[in-house]
Amino acid sequence: MEGANAPDQFIRAGLAAMGIEVDEIDLAVIAATHEVFWPAILDLLSLDTADLEPELFPDLSQAP
Amino acid sequence: MKAQDLSLRDQAAAIAAGDVDPSELLDAALARIEERNPALNAIVETFPERSREMLAAAPEGPLHGVPVVIKDEWPLPWRAQRFGAAELFQATAPEESGPYRALRDAGAVIVGVGNMHELGMGTTGNISVYGPARNPWDTDRCPGGSSSGPAASTAARMVAGAVGADGLGSIRVPAAYCGLTGLKPTFARATMEGHHLEAVTTVAVSGPLCADAADCRLLASILFGEKLAAGDAAGLRIGVVRESVSEDVVPEVREACEAAIESLRAETGGAVHEVPLPDIEAATIAGVLIINTENLHGATPQRVNNLHPDISPLNRGITKYRMLVPAVALVQAERVRAMMRRRLAALFEQVDVIAWPTVPAPAPPLDSPMVELPSGALAADQANVRSAALANLTGTPAISVPVGRSADGLPLALQLQAAWGRDELLLDAAEALERANERRWVASRPPLAEVEPTEA
Repeated sequence: MEGANAPDQFIRAGLAAMGIEVDEIDLAVIAATHEVFWPAILDLLSLDTADLEPELFPDLSQAP
Repeated sequence: MKAQDLSLRDQAAAIAAGDVDPSELLDAALARIEERNPALNAIVETFPERSREMLAAAPEGPLHGVPVVIKDEWPLPWRAQRFGAAELFQATAPEESGPYRALRDAGAVIVGVGNMHELGMGTTGNISVYGPARNPWDTDRCPGGSSSGPAASTAARMVAGAVGADGLGSIRVPAAYCGLTGLKPTFARATMEGHHLEAVTTVAVSGPLCADAADCRLLASILFGEKLAAGDAAGLRIGVVRESVSEDVVPEVREACEAAIESLRAETGGAVHEVPLPDIEAATIAGVLIINTENLHGATPQRVNNLHPDISPLNRGITKYRMLVPAVALVQAERVRAMMRRRLAALFEQVDVIAWPTVPAPAPPLDSPMVELPSGALAADQANVRSAALANLTGTPAISVPVGRSADGLPLALQLQAAWGRDELLLDAAEALERANERRWVASRPPLAEVEPTEA
């Protein structure tokens, strides 16, 4: 996404598509949350895991 | 020393020996809650008649007659959990949860319900439908979360032990902020029965918060339904990771934790090894995304639009934002989980535990839960989950152990993590650390909880 309003558009459009209503306080909280989460999400997505074998239905109580 | 100032195990032993009357101990615990809780808001509800009924029916178990607190995350037969919030997406009702049954069958007496961070979605404890809990070491500071009340009530010695839950540091962070020992068990080892997210969570566990490791061992044994044998952690191989979790911390935390690691090595006759563990940041956001979406179980756009008006503005906004988490990020989070689990499995072939600070800075102010790290100012939540998330993401056990005081007199803590199922080793290592520092940190109490002399 590019442009100064991209996050705002993404948030408003995404929530509107689900029929979720927001007020100005919601938007302020969401914008602040997005500022924290989004760079980390982008970093996560940029990690190359193509060669990684997935662990299907892991038993989290034990080593893989 | 008054009976309620004894450790959990010593209270149990004194009752078993006939030296302490459990009815008197219960009355004393209730009186102390009345006296100390107003300053802390750690306990959100007591029910003296129910507690007396539990005592009257208590079997001769390992905690016979001992008062304990349980987090507002578990239903009781007479009270549904509120999860620190005005409303949950999941249906709740009074019932016998696993932790309740485990405590009851051990003979324990639940004396109150502990406050918690609203919806479990924070590590500070400064937001709750009941109002914030406060840190006994400084009532203007965060007690940590989300198990804020269990930690604050135990640190203030209203009780000697409490049951909390940990989905992203929620036992370890409040233990660290309040100067307690807190065990996040291996995934699925402690009972989660009756939790409103039991069927969906892949990160949350129940666990104990107590003054020291021996009490945690006792309470964990009850939650696990099996006796946790004690060892000596001899020859402990300690892994140290030179990443943000150990480097981007305030100097006094770093110094206290480095000194504690050296003490632990010396006490156990072990060795310290630097070990690589890259991508901790990726593991952190993976854990954050997983818990944030698992907790949405039961949320529909209609329900999100009709949130209870007493849900905090912060969680109202965050709940709506969580509805936007991209599916591809969740898929990637699971891949990162697999990657980190394999890395940890390989790493735990080389070392027995890995060690880094439980939290990068001591408890922040309640009215502004920010921490100033070498990398800059950061919300305490953001800083804390970086240290905590890996154990929840991978299912491994972890323990927070008090190791010092800040210049402001606030507790500092070291976190130890071990391989799956090695909870006992973490308790052994914590006890070795206590021996190494002559129990200085586990025995110290905040001023409002100084040991009261027995009346002549």
